[in-house]
Amino acid sequence: MKLSTYIIRRVLVLIPTLIGLSLIVFLLTRAGGINMIIASYINPHLPYAVQRAMLIKEFHLNDPLWVQYYYYMMGLLQGNWGYTRTAIYSGPVTTAISMFLPNTIQLSIVAFIIAVVIAIPAGQESAVRKNSFVDQFSRFIAFVGISLPVFWLAQILSEIFATPTISPALNILPLSGTVDATLMAGVPWINSIGVSSPTHIMMIDALLHGDLPIFFSSIRHVILPAATLAFTSIAGIMRYMRASMVESLNQDYVKTARSKGLPEKVVIKVHARKNALIPVVTILGLLFAGLLGGVVVIEDLFSYPGMGLWTVDAILGYDSGGIMGTTIVFGLILVTANFIVDLLYAWIDPRIRLGE
Amino acid sequence: MAEQKKRNPRIESFILTLKILFQSPASVFGVVVVLFYIAIALIDQFDPSLIGLTNVNYLTPNFTIPEPLPPSPAHPFGTVYPGIDIYTGILKAIRIDIGFSVFVVVFGSVSGVLIGIISAYFGGWVDEIVMRITDIFFSIPYLVLAIAIGFFMGRTLLILSVGLIIIWWPIYARVVRGQALSIKEQTYVEAARASGVGNTKIMFRHILPNTLAPIFVQFSFDLATIVLTLATLNFIGFAPSNSFLPDMGYLSAIGYEYAVVGDWWTIVFPGFGLLLFALAMNLVGDGLRDALDPRLRR
Repeated sequence: MKLSTYIIRRVLVLIPTLIGLSLIVFLLTRAGGINMIIASYINPHLPYAVQRAMLIKEFHLNDPLWVQYYYYMMGLLQGNWGYTRTAIYSGPVTTAISMFLPNTIQLSIVAFIIAVVIAIPAGQESAVRKNSFVDQFSRFIAFVGISLPVFWLAQILSEIFATPTISPALNILPLSGTVDATLMAGVPWINSIGVSSPTHIMMIDALLHGDLPIFFSSIRHVILPAATLAFTSIAGIMRYMRASMVESLNQDYVKTARSKGLPEKVVIKVHARKNALIPVVTILGLLFAGLLGGVVVIEDLFSYPGMGLWTVDAILGYDSGGIMGTTIVFGLILVTANFIVDLLYAWIDPRIRLGE
Repeated sequence: MAEQKKRNPRIESFILTLKILFQSPASVFGVVVVLFYIAIALIDQFDPSLIGLTNVNYLTPNFTIPEPLPPSPAHPFGTVYPGIDIYTGILKAIRIDIGFSVFVVVFGSVSGVLIGIISAYFGGWVDEIVMRITDIFFSIPYLVLAIAIGFFMGRTLLILSVGLIIIWWPIYARVVRGQALSIKEQTYVEAARASGVGNTKIMFRHILPNTLAPIFVQFSFDLATIVLTLATLNFIGFAPSNSFLPDMGYLSAIGYEYAVVGDWWTIVFPGFGLLLFALAMNLVGDGLRDALDPRLRR
């Protein structure tokens, strides 16, 4: 099978998943009752009674569920995602997404990079020196990593690095926002709601415009939440890399490489590691799911204005429009991440597409 | 001697599992800590006065001294606003948190195992549909889905637990299905079918017992994950701030405001209570994985 055929097949599998995702969100919103559905579409700037009658008509709320699903999906596809009213933002859900999603993507990508950069070499080292002190220590760290309550780790780190009353010497990092507000004022490529152009991701845009102060400020803001988030997924990647590397070191091609007299470094780096990385790619999608769960708590604790902080504010403010929007968007992020991982896997390992 | 030979092979196998499990000091530590937590949960349930607890369903506030007090002989872990003793709070929370977790994992695993085995045994379109449904559940991060279910269906412990059961069965369905697919091709299953044994009996007598090892491993990891998930949900606001729900996430949440101004004990102890249980449960799961691995048993 050609790679292009594989991609087309994989896109076709996406369709039932996306329909299922929308069905789950749809059924949940209906379970909340008619007032909750209406509340998520009410424009806060217009009178309530008029809108209620209009919304019942527009979304056919008195008709059977499958009719309602049709109009619900029509609404979503036409960009009518309703309104959100939370402490951090009040207005259309789509605008809120455009504000918060880029920040969350920035945070999770930085966290992901930190996690991979630490976990892959650590897992490799554990496998090479199996049962040594390094191996036992990394095993211990891995267990603590999966057992730590994320909110607890975030609380403690924020107290150490961002609370002047507790540790004045270590109080070196900011505890809210994505960039110092003073730096953002009057910058032409940042719009009134704080979204930068052209990529919407502040760090990249700052580099593109050559604005180093904003770039460093956004690194300072993202590093603590990203490190916390990374710590939660290091354990999984590291253990998986170790298992895969141990397996790879026992293969015949590694023995061949050794017996023909190659230096150990080359054997490990070129022969063993390359093959050990292939299965690790498959779990990256799964780990991304865990990462997104952590985003909710971590953004809340570090007041980082992304999808997670918005979710928590929506819970506290009984804001159904917000929850509906965040659930769909988190689902879409995960589906996209899994899609990319699958493509990456097929590209790295030709057996996947030839085997079918 | 003759009696020993007649011993049930299941019991033999169970004893062998325990022997391998207890060879690792980490697993022994895990088992001891988990048993300790379970003992506290049972005492809370049946005779709370034994460890000096009253009113185990709510945290007991003390409005005469509401401000947080540091650890002292009277309050070993200190207190948190409004005058809640953290030590007794944690003892009460153990019952709620572990009870909730066991409830979710038992119902989640039983329904997942049933669905998974049926899916693998019948194959074809049944299998296809079940697998597409599990795909859908894996397409939303579990914490986000739990938040949505709790938000739209009600913020009570019962509804949260039902929500988490709905989220958790697909994992078990997948694990069992993978196992059952290879087992149903074995000759002894074919032999049973050839001799006229019914579908139900083949599934539950011949296939099911051989799929259980990875289920137990998954089960112990999930007990830890669910405890953390419940605490997280309550931490981010599913337990209303005046609910006095004995849960370690709720305790951490009310303590956070005070921890920021220097009262470190308000978050350190509840978080540590969670960490210790989750760590122990994960160590047990890891030990079980080794003990049930057929390659290590021979």
